[in-house]
Amino acid sequence: MEWLIKKAEELARKHGLDYYEIRLVKVTSRRLVMSNGQLRELSSNSELGIGARAFNGTWGFSSANDRERFEKAIETAMKIAKLSRGNARIYLGEPVRDEVELKVKKPFTEVDIEEKLSLVKEIDGLLRGEKIVSRTVNYGDSIVETFYFNSLGSEIRTVVPRIRLGFSVTAKENGEMQDFWKSFGGTLGWELVEGIDLHYWTAHVKEKALELLRASSPPSGEMDVIADPELTGVFIHEALGHAVEADSVKNGDSILAGRLGEKIAVDGLNVVDDPTLPGKFGSYPYDDEGIKARRVEIIKDGVLVSYLNDRETAEYFGLEPNGHARAESYSHQPLVRMGNTYVEPGDWSFEEILEAVKNGLYMLGDKGGEVDTANGTFTFGAKLGYIVENGEIKEPVRDVALSGKILDVLKNIMAIGNDTRVEFPGYCGKGQWVPVDDGGPHILTRALVGGLR
Amino acid sequence: MIEAVERLVKLLERENVEWEVFYQFGRSGSFRIERETLERSQRKFYSGIGLRVGLKGRLGFSYITGLHPSEEELKKLVERAVKLAKISEVPFRGFPASGRVNRVKGIYDGEIDEIPFEEAHKLALEYAELMREKKGKETLSGSLSLAVGTSGVVNSNGIELEERSTYMGVSAYAVLSEPPGTGSYRQSFTSLQPVEELERAVEKAIDEARLSARARKLEPYSGELVLESNALASIMEVFLSNLYGDEVYHGRSRFSKPGDEVGSFTLVDDSTLPELPGSYSFDGEGSPGQRTVLVGDGIVRNFLLDHTYASFLGMESTGNALRTFRSVPYIGTSNLILEPGEESLEDYEGVIVRKVFGEHTANPVSGDFSLTVELGYVVENGELKPFKDNMLVGNVFELLRTLKPGKEIERISSFLSPRAIVEGRLV
Repeated sequence: MEWLIKKAEELARKHGLDYYEIRLVKVTSRRLVMSNGQLRELSSNSELGIGARAFNGTWGFSSANDRERFEKAIETAMKIAKLSRGNARIYLGEPVRDEVELKVKKPFTEVDIEEKLSLVKEIDGLLRGEKIVSRTVNYGDSIVETFYFNSLGSEIRTVVPRIRLGFSVTAKENGEMQDFWKSFGGTLGWELVEGIDLHYWTAHVKEKALELLRASSPPSGEMDVIADPELTGVFIHEALGHAVEADSVKNGDSILAGRLGEKIAVDGLNVVDDPTLPGKFGSYPYDDEGIKARRVEIIKDGVLVSYLNDRETAEYFGLEPNGHARAESYSHQPLVRMGNTYVEPGDWSFEEILEAVKNGLYMLGDKGGEVDTANGTFTFGAKLGYIVENGEIKEPVRDVALSGKILDVLKNIMAIGNDTRVEFPGYCGKGQWVPVDDGGPHILTRALVGGLR
Repeated sequence: MIEAVERLVKLLERENVEWEVFYQFGRSGSFRIERETLERSQRKFYSGIGLRVGLKGRLGFSYITGLHPSEEELKKLVERAVKLAKISEVPFRGFPASGRVNRVKGIYDGEIDEIPFEEAHKLALEYAELMREKKGKETLSGSLSLAVGTSGVVNSNGIELEERSTYMGVSAYAVLSEPPGTGSYRQSFTSLQPVEELERAVEKAIDEARLSARARKLEPYSGELVLESNALASIMEVFLSNLYGDEVYHGRSRFSKPGDEVGSFTLVDDSTLPELPGSYSFDGEGSPGQRTVLVGDGIVRNFLLDHTYASFLGMESTGNALRTFRSVPYIGTSNLILEPGEESLEDYEGVIVRKVFGEHTANPVSGDFSLTVELGYVVENGELKPFKDNMLVGNVFELLRTLKPGKEIERISSFLSPRAIVEGRLV
């Protein structure tokens, strides 16, 4: 490692560059996929790669995964920066020397691949059932060891373990087919798996898939919607999270540009992104620019109080850097990204929220979403739902997508529940994929429902 | 064959196993322009070797990065793959045998391969300059990428293939803030394009952003409408997973064998078309690329298949095993073509949907979708009234039954289709 640090210093001197940063990343991962009792994938691999960036008013970046090219990658990044000269500035700050390993109770590296295989088989067996025509189980774990250093003298070593388990079924009856699934994940060890009540959750997944077969499509149009904690998570991620990523704001690509300090949501709405939550899927100790991760209040009592930023956008907006630059891998440049995004609890009980709805829908589960941050429109999908009439939950409705306008829907929130949960691991795409978590309490809002009725 | 692969093959020939080596190496240069300024430039190198081993009906897979492994690393790679084959229980259905591979023309351009980084960088600066020139009230951004890559397959059945291809990607994005409007354009090529192509990208993005800024929500509408190829690509994505061989085999498709009727259109996957970014001479297992009619005159004729799932379904591989050295083959499309129909829809009057988003929230097994309209417009007496923020809702199987393709084909990277009339619903 020492020789690489020395080499980088030498090369920076040669090319007359002030700032560079280098990530040397080792990833070891295991993955098992089983469909209908048949193993589709079992892999166990590790790789080492380098990502080097140099700054000269604009970024030059290079990456390589062949050790013989590591030095060349550093020099290439510096040559590109030299060639590119721009006018941007970045936050530098003090050098940081640290070593952090996210601790787990029971390292999954100490669990044999055979045991992981029998877990997958056990779940596959539990997913069998009448009218269940297809079953899939996915298990994956990884350890990402990063050595980060930069020209300021920062040297940061981090070890981040991540584990994920998911399973799904397809139910079929009279030509109709429906899916249901559940995922668990975190920066945890094997204790995650041991803590799951597999009998309960496999039965739940089957039951919901069968319920969806009997469900009809919901009505369409603008209506009151209660979102469960999982759907609240994807809602806030799409409706707010992406629009407060400061790179979008800086590039004129966010409807929330210029609105810091402005009331953009209802009283009592507090939204946070916190990558330091222990054990969550989107957690990390340092971001990919060597900035310590920290809890960021995005909305406080309805007022937009901060953007998520990186070294460049922190300087651009004159904000405190808050450690939200994340890269998919060593071969990607960091972008401003979320970690664990959630709505803090309010004071409504679920029963009170339900009672408040005369005609509407209760929608559950996250099927992902997408946002057009510049137009301010977003879509998010629910796994299933129920018609609500006069405060009572009625017949089930099929999975469907909802849509809304960022600036309207945050002001349309009518009730914020007291039952916040942040435990819905997923991956967020923005040209690159990173692990995130999200959640919140039950909330009541209005959205455009794209039903077929 | 590269030297490291030759050494690996020698090691494998000593083992009593069937084997397949897939390797890749290449580099890319890409440039990101933000607010009409070149902000990020990068040059990446990648290489690696993936190894599949078949042993007593079971399959093991492992990979290494780089092309300069020591003898020890190669031995370990073989050991790992063999060990996994012993415990894995992943069924092994043999590797493809050596067959006739016709080389696809025009997927490699020496100009892209040989362009010095400084030249590519200059082109990116020119692109940024173009944006500054053409800019009105819009904020413009975009990207430019150039790449060259080589991939090769060698297996114990005698396959030994290698292919080099090049890529150029262009995208432009325009944003208006008051009232908000966005426009975007993306295209990819296998050869170096003249600057006019960059100009076209900027102009198209600007035109669309201006249209989008004027767009309002349309009153709910139900009836005949036209989908432009961009919106059709989203609809086809919802439908397409039903044609993937693995989804069919595992019971997650509407279809179990060819023969079902889905409408009256023709949908083709074709990796042999010259000069297209989705083209290749052979797939990730060394099966020859081919033209596959997936839906012919409205009837499901074939599925997208790799060697394994073709074998499970008692069919032949369609050469649709895609992969990287890090992965085992997975089924995917090459170039997808919705064949044109008789009628020109260029001067169609009525409701036209250009772009929708949110297709991953749709349910491919039930076919239900509700997608947000990013941009559409109504044409009345030649006058154009844009709309957005509605949702296009429906069931993909029902919608495709009403699909009538128009005449003129448009290409968006590796998706080729005309506009098409459908019966649809906007809420």
